[in-house]
Amino acid sequence: MKEMKLFLGPQHPGMSGNASVHMYVDGDIIKRSYLLPGMLHRGFEKGMERHLWVNNISLIPRVCVVEPDTNEMAFAMAVEMIAKLEVPERAHYIRMIILEFARLSIHLMSYGGLGGPTGLYTLMYHAHTDRNTILNIFEKITGHRVYHQYIVPGGVRKDLPVGIEKDMHSFLDDLESRYEEYRDLGINNLSIQARIRDTIMLPKEVVWELGVTGIGMRSAVNKPYDLRKVKPYARYDQIEFDVPVSDYSDAYARVDCKLQEVLQSISIIRQCLIKMPKGDVRVPISKGQAMRWTVPKGYAYACVESSRGEFGYFMVSDGGTHPYRVGVRGASYPQGLLGVEKYLPGTRLDDASLWIDTMGVCSPEIDR
Amino acid sequence: MTNSMSNTEFVTNLVENQYKVLKTEVLDQYQIAFEVKKEDVHSILSLLKTSGWIQLSYLSAVDWIKDNEFEVVYIVFNWDKAVHIQIRTRLDRESASINSVLPIYPGCKYYEREAHEFFGIKFPGNPDYEKQLILENWDDIPPLRKDFDPRQYSDKKFSHMEYKNDFVNKDGKVSKQEAREKRFSDADKLRTGGKK
Amino acid sequence: MNKQYSIFTSWRHFKHLFKKPKTIPFTSIFTKKNMNYLNNNSIIRSKKKVEMSNPRTAGDNQRGFHTNDWEVCIGCGTCEEICPTEAITMVERLDIKDEEGKLQQRPTIDYGRCCFCALCVDICTSDSLKMSKEYIYSHEDPNAFELMPEALWQGHAVEEGWVKDKASNLLDLERVHMEHESPDERKSSFIEIVRGYSKEYAKLEAARCVECGICTGSCPVQMHIPAYIKAIFEDDIEGGLRQIYETNPLPGVCGRVCTHNCESACAIAVKGEAIAIRWLKRYIIDSAPNDMYEKILMEPVSEVVDARVAVVGSGPAGLGAAYYLRVMGYEVDVYEEKPLTGGVMRYGIPAYRLPDSAINKDIDFIEKIGVKMIVNTRVGKDITMDKLEKDYDAVFLGTGFFKPRSLGIPGGDHKDVIGAMTFLPQVRDYERGVLKLEDIDVAKSIVVIGGGDVAFDVARSATRLQMLKYGKSDVKLTSLENEDQLPSSDDELFEGSEEGIELFCGNGPQEVMIKNNKVTGLRLWKCLCIFNETGSFNPEYDKECEQIIEGQQIYIAIGQSPDYEYIPESLQGKLQFSRGKIKAGEFGQVEYTPWLFVG
Ligand code: SF4
Ligand code: SF4
Ligand code: SF4
Repeated sequence: MKEMKLFLGPQHPGMSGNASVHMYVDGDIIKRSYLLPGMLHRGFEKGMERHLWVNNISLIPRVCVVEPDTNEMAFAMAVEMIAKLEVPERAHYIRMIILEFARLSIHLMSYGGLGGPTGLYTLMYHAHTDRNTILNIFEKITGHRVYHQYIVPGGVRKDLPVGIEKDMHSFLDDLESRYEEYRDLGINNLSIQARIRDTIMLPKEVVWELGVTGIGMRSAVNKPYDLRKVKPYARYDQIEFDVPVSDYSDAYARVDCKLQEVLQSISIIRQCLIKMPKGDVRVPISKGQAMRWTVPKGYAYACVESSRGEFGYFMVSDGGTHPYRVGVRGASYPQGLLGVEKYLPGTRLDDASLWIDTMGVCSPEIDR
Repeated sequence: MTNSMSNTEFVTNLVENQYKVLKTEVLDQYQIAFEVKKEDVHSILSLLKTSGWIQLSYLSAVDWIKDNEFEVVYIVFNWDKAVHIQIRTRLDRESASINSVLPIYPGCKYYEREAHEFFGIKFPGNPDYEKQLILENWDDIPPLRKDFDPRQYSDKKFSHMEYKNDFVNKDGKVSKQEAREKRFSDADKLRTGGKK
Repeated sequence: MNKQYSIFTSWRHFKHLFKKPKTIPFTSIFTKKNMNYLNNNSIIRSKKKVEMSNPRTAGDNQRGFHTNDWEVCIGCGTCEEICPTEAITMVERLDIKDEEGKLQQRPTIDYGRCCFCALCVDICTSDSLKMSKEYIYSHEDPNAFELMPEALWQGHAVEEGWVKDKASNLLDLERVHMEHESPDERKSSFIEIVRGYSKEYAKLEAARCVECGICTGSCPVQMHIPAYIKAIFEDDIEGGLRQIYETNPLPGVCGRVCTHNCESACAIAVKGEAIAIRWLKRYIIDSAPNDMYEKILMEPVSEVVDARVAVVGSGPAGLGAAYYLRVMGYEVDVYEEKPLTGGVMRYGIPAYRLPDSAINKDIDFIEKIGVKMIVNTRVGKDITMDKLEKDYDAVFLGTGFFKPRSLGIPGGDHKDVIGAMTFLPQVRDYERGVLKLEDIDVAKSIVVIGGGDVAFDVARSATRLQMLKYGKSDVKLTSLENEDQLPSSDDELFEGSEEGIELFCGNGPQEVMIKNNKVTGLRLWKCLCIFNETGSFNPEYDKECEQIIEGQQIYIAIGQSPDYEYIPESLQGKLQFSRGKIKAGEFGQVEYTPWLFVG
């Protein structure tokens, strides 16, 4: 049969984000494919160089729409590393709560997103309803539902509002009680299993070759390679949690790990709420009013474990009022670009969007 | 896992014993940075890869326009000995080029392509580095260079939204705001030195 | 997987079929304002539902649309400066009352750009800008998205959302501490109290300024304050010095003793401690190397105008005039009756506030640019006014107020009732070693009348002399004004009380008590009010509330009057005086005598 040229995305229910996959197909089988990024390119790295340290907090969460907090955290950690700031103890715990809620919300969303490529939209509705409750909690804490601009270098912007613990607990209990339901609807559902079992393999060697991190890697190499464990930031070393792993990296295993992480996040938030001390939540980056804050000369690379893997900020300061250079390492860079080029070919056309979805490719963080 | 502090020491010994390192910075127990000469980059990276630093986390560049140099940064990571290593090297800005690390870290393919697109650094050895990746039909100098001014570019390309609202109320008097602004900008002109 | 699943497993979800939705219904997010808009544009079919809608209230920290209380806002424009999206523009509003410490402008916000980051709220110097819980607004006209926040949002009172608190505050409200000598140490010597900022501290202090320029408006010479503070922050002493000299030729002196109105106007002072503007200026002056001075001072004298000007008096006014005249290219001679130039700076202000070295530095540079100083020459005695008129193209009178204003109460002419301007020059001379301690007649207990800076200068100098002479001090200070209304600066009051000066504020002197031809004390009546209804000086006293404070000497520091004896009769006739000052036109030119100018 003749080779045909096809595009997946940017408008496609199975495409996560505003990118498109350019494919050459022969019958059902993809022969060659490339990711076409750039549709969402906003020049953030340049923009950050041209914004004051404090102003950058309005820009950073926008790097990744669904998971802004990891960006804020990595940026804040990079600044703190260069400026050698001691973040107040309470702020560490608040940050962890925020980050885990973010993880919950994105895991739910991408689990629901599984409904896109597989055609089971009920999953999406459930996931979004729960995500909505998380966003309500975020709104109460940070003032915004999506772009929180809450974790800032030196701590967090405001203390938790009174009584928010109640909201959190009731949400966590509710989610936990419906966890099995979620599984039954999704990955225990035989029609879904038929799609995701034994397909879209990501073998160990490929993981190392591409440099895939996060669940993609853990579900292949069977080791708890999670940044929260191997180089704990914030106060993850004071919290007990497991890192779900697997040694058979098909799409099923990845989704399974994701769902198990939901349980872990629930437990982490509960522990944080118990262990959280009282006290200040923020220290200024330096003396003076915010527009004249400076960060000493230096380089740093700070990274956090996002839902898709290692999310890092490389930062250079020349001692001035603006960052000299900020580089963003999006977690989906390796699988999204090189992965699509090298390992998408050979799969079936209808699995392409499943491939993108379960590998965790998020185009905004590739584009910046 | 072994004590983390010894991890950074391990790396320092590993690299410094064999290569001339221009500068070593230990940022914390999980991160260390080496400034090295351009010729050493590839062999250091090979050494690190064989010692367990199998993951290329990040590759990019910094424009030091005052020194007329680019600085290329490679960040590698070892999941068993949790240390991020920055390898940095300076290139001449006019003819910036460094051999690709594709044979060592295949994952660098797109990073190098992006660095070329945004800085104009050449990576011979990478078959695709010159292809455009993110910026479609770009018609200016590579945008992450310090001499690229995005404000100017957008003023040139896009129109500006002017509001027609009139909130100003001068009460029939002469503007004081303008006078203030003029004085301020005049005073600014008296400045000569200092850093911006 | 030990559990077996059937394709019916997922059917359990049917139980959700009859549950209430958890999401927020579309119709419950509209405000009244939107409702009208939406009804007109009929996006929704059922208008009824929209009308009945009950908007959902946002969380307490909601970053919604801004409100700005115009009464509180000071128009500093800091919000405009920080806005990362350049959404804020300061709009001039001359219909707002012009007040000290406020600018007549208020922010407008372009909601097409605003990203609701609340940085403007967190940095607002007056806390007037807040965010509300309103988050919905729609309109078909793009122009309607630029709004001017007021205390009410679209005419409605709204609930507060995100407001600044201690954690989110982005200003630095605490002054960088400057080293002072301890009260005990400084009491017994005339060393300078304030040691001055080091480079690091100056930069930290400069980093607190928000560059709003409100202070400039209240500075008598309108110095470029935000500009030179920024220069300090960016480590550009030379630029800062240039900006200072453009408006003020005596910065070294001024940096120490000016009344710093600017600091009370400072935007940061609304919520915290004002920027130490005066000390920062002094930092520039003190840290600029001499050759930099010369370079800057020499620069402007480019063309020489062929005209000669005589300046009478070498006080601040005289020297200032001399400097600018010289810069404009005139040839300038300054006449001074005393052996040292500087006038009130040299003789009227104690050295712990203004050391000779600082005066010398300023004056030396004025001399360096070619101003000639002629000392020990009293115009009217050693040289006549007529001669000046003949020799020079113009004469500038920069003489000050050295004659004491008299007390006008019984006993006020006793020899132990001493004027401040008689005493202070003696103190200066003592410090210079011209006079010895024994030569100065300071009694063991002293009463000072007056509440201004000069009164404190007298009281504190006397304290020091007493310490040196007797080893202990006993100085009382009485003024008409109450303690919280004293015209003196707060530092004076604070440091003075620290040094042990007893205050008897809010009392008016009635009689100097004299026994055996010796002063023994002062009779005071409680002062009820100082000014009458029309606002002129007319104190009223409460006779019942009388007290007598002891003292062997009375020092008067209630203001001085000028001494115009040097002006010849013929000329005096032509001049008009108002409140002790010569009346003159807008540019200081005296009517009927075009060659004569006053300061
Ligand atoms: S920062 Fe506050 S006080 Fe200053 S102009 Fe803005 S709203 Fe007014
Ligand atoms: S909220 Fe942020 S973007 Fe909006 S006006 Fe204020 S500073 Fe500007
Ligand atoms: S010193 Fe105070 S009033 Fe003056 S510009 Fe700075 S912040 Fe504004």
